[in-house]
Amino acid sequence: MNVSKNIRRKVRPAARVARQNNLQGWLSVLPVLLVIAAVRGYPLLVGFQKSFTNWDGMTRSDFVGLQNYIRVLSDLEFWKLLSNNAIFMLFIPIQLVIGITVSVLFYEKTAGWKFFRSVFYLPQMISSVIVGYLFAVFFSFRGPINTILSSLGLEALTRDWLGQRASALMIIMVCLVWVNIGWQAMLGLGGLASVDPGIFEAAKIDGAGYFQRLFFITIPMLGRTIEYSCIMSVIWVLSGLFPYIFSMTKGGPGYDTTTIDYMVYLKSFGTSSEMGYASALAFILLLIIMLLTIGQMKLSNRANDWGE
Amino acid sequence: MKKRVKLSKRLTAVFTFVILTVMALSFVYPLIYMFLNSLKTKTEYFQNPFSLPGAFRLENYQIMFEKFNLLRNFLNTFFMAFVSITVIMALSVFASYAFSKLRFKGSGIVYIAVICTMFIPAQVTMIPMYYMFSKFNLVNTYTGVIISYIAAGLPGTILLLTANFKGIPGEVIEAARIDGAGYFGIIRHVVVPMGMPAIAINIVLSFVAQCNELFTPMILLQDTEKQTVIVALSALMSQTKGAGDPAFQMAGMLLAVIPPLIIYLIFQKYLTNGLTAGAIK
Repeated sequence: MNVSKNIRRKVRPAARVARQNNLQGWLSVLPVLLVIAAVRGYPLLVGFQKSFTNWDGMTRSDFVGLQNYIRVLSDLEFWKLLSNNAIFMLFIPIQLVIGITVSVLFYEKTAGWKFFRSVFYLPQMISSVIVGYLFAVFFSFRGPINTILSSLGLEALTRDWLGQRASALMIIMVCLVWVNIGWQAMLGLGGLASVDPGIFEAAKIDGAGYFQRLFFITIPMLGRTIEYSCIMSVIWVLSGLFPYIFSMTKGGPGYDTTTIDYMVYLKSFGTSSEMGYASALAFILLLIIMLLTIGQMKLSNRANDWGE
Repeated sequence: MKKRVKLSKRLTAVFTFVILTVMALSFVYPLIYMFLNSLKTKTEYFQNPFSLPGAFRLENYQIMFEKFNLLRNFLNTFFMAFVSITVIMALSVFASYAFSKLRFKGSGIVYIAVICTMFIPAQVTMIPMYYMFSKFNLVNTYTGVIISYIAAGLPGTILLLTANFKGIPGEVIEAARIDGAGYFGIIRHVVVPMGMPAIAINIVLSFVAQCNELFTPMILLQDTEKQTVIVALSALMSQTKGAGDPAFQMAGMLLAVIPPLIIYLIFQKYLTNGLTAGAIK
């Protein structure tokens, strides 16, 4: 009696397993769903609704239709913010070229590669705020960079680096590249590690030179990696630059280095509290992120088809 | 002919080594710069930021801890990180087990929905969240920050843990079940021990991320004695901008860098291996 019961429990009928898995599965993810729904989902809906109001963070919250969205899009400032975001994206190809080159060097076990690998990842461990302040200190008017330049007799080149649009944008981009080389190199190394080394051997035997191997094997093999880092970097430029802008330029001079995500902060918790307007801007940002991400995914799928 | 090839190969190797060394220096030098200048006085700093400090003066650190009470901010940071990471890991282990091993109805779409929230910028949900929190008196409390850390940290952790748990063989779990292990038994005796490397990497990465976070704690915490190190420091930097004492600021910045750096040095081997192995799934 007891034995047969045990056997029945061991050989579980498929239907019962499915039912049990359903119950256990949903109960396992339920806490996560509740937290995310309450802390991310609900605010997302409220924010969307508030983007159609003139909410000021206090009691005023009247429906104004599309007025916030029209105000954002007809504002010349918005196109400046957008162009700042677009300019910052130019750092991505630079990061890719340097990072992938470094990862190829690491993959070929260049002298001291293990040491370099850990050192290159250091900026990823330092808070972006601290990185930003370091750059701000180095490039401040009385800072080390200007000191070096004037001691070299290049006084003509000294300037208030973060005080003018062109040089400030450039310094921020240098900073972004500096921070991300290690990240990109690590990703590239991960991508290369999954390539079968036999392919390189075969190519070598067939007489392919170093650069032929680099351009016809290594880089095509890294297609997925490059795709992934492009997508992640574009999202990052649109939503992750807040600490850098905050610590380096505060968006200035004027709005010359302000990005969209920084403007959302300025309009909500920074200089004013136009919560309705800021919400509209935030949703336009979300829309841009979604469009660019989906666009890149579509594009890269096609590119991969060409490769095959 | 052959000799020349060898020579050029050597030259390339030396050249790459020099370039990599220069880059490595650029990553290490800021730390050295912060350390050396944190020992100086303001006048000493402005005379020559590259010189060695005249004396081993720990005054700046003393002010940081005694007048500025940075220790309090460190304790705040660690406390909030400890609580939120504990909850994130506990919830993620159960959810990732379900996503990877229990093919329950709707798991695919629920999984994608959870992961997608990772890409919603904090700025988009912060405004309504702030007012929601203020209704529950959670603004300017540890609890508020911990809750938002948990919600922000869950998707990334679940992504990594689910990918990792998929590698646990189904036979091992089935064997445990036949041995009489129930749901919690399987998680405790199979999933957690086998997924430990991934869980550990996740704990380390979450800790570093939360130590370095600015936006969320800055908006939610107004009292200096409740703020995290990064928030307190950036408030100090903004106050003294222009008229600031860089030497004093360097002391604070270096202190803020130290905890994540120590963690990185301890777990460096696991981190770099884990990152290269599991970066793309």
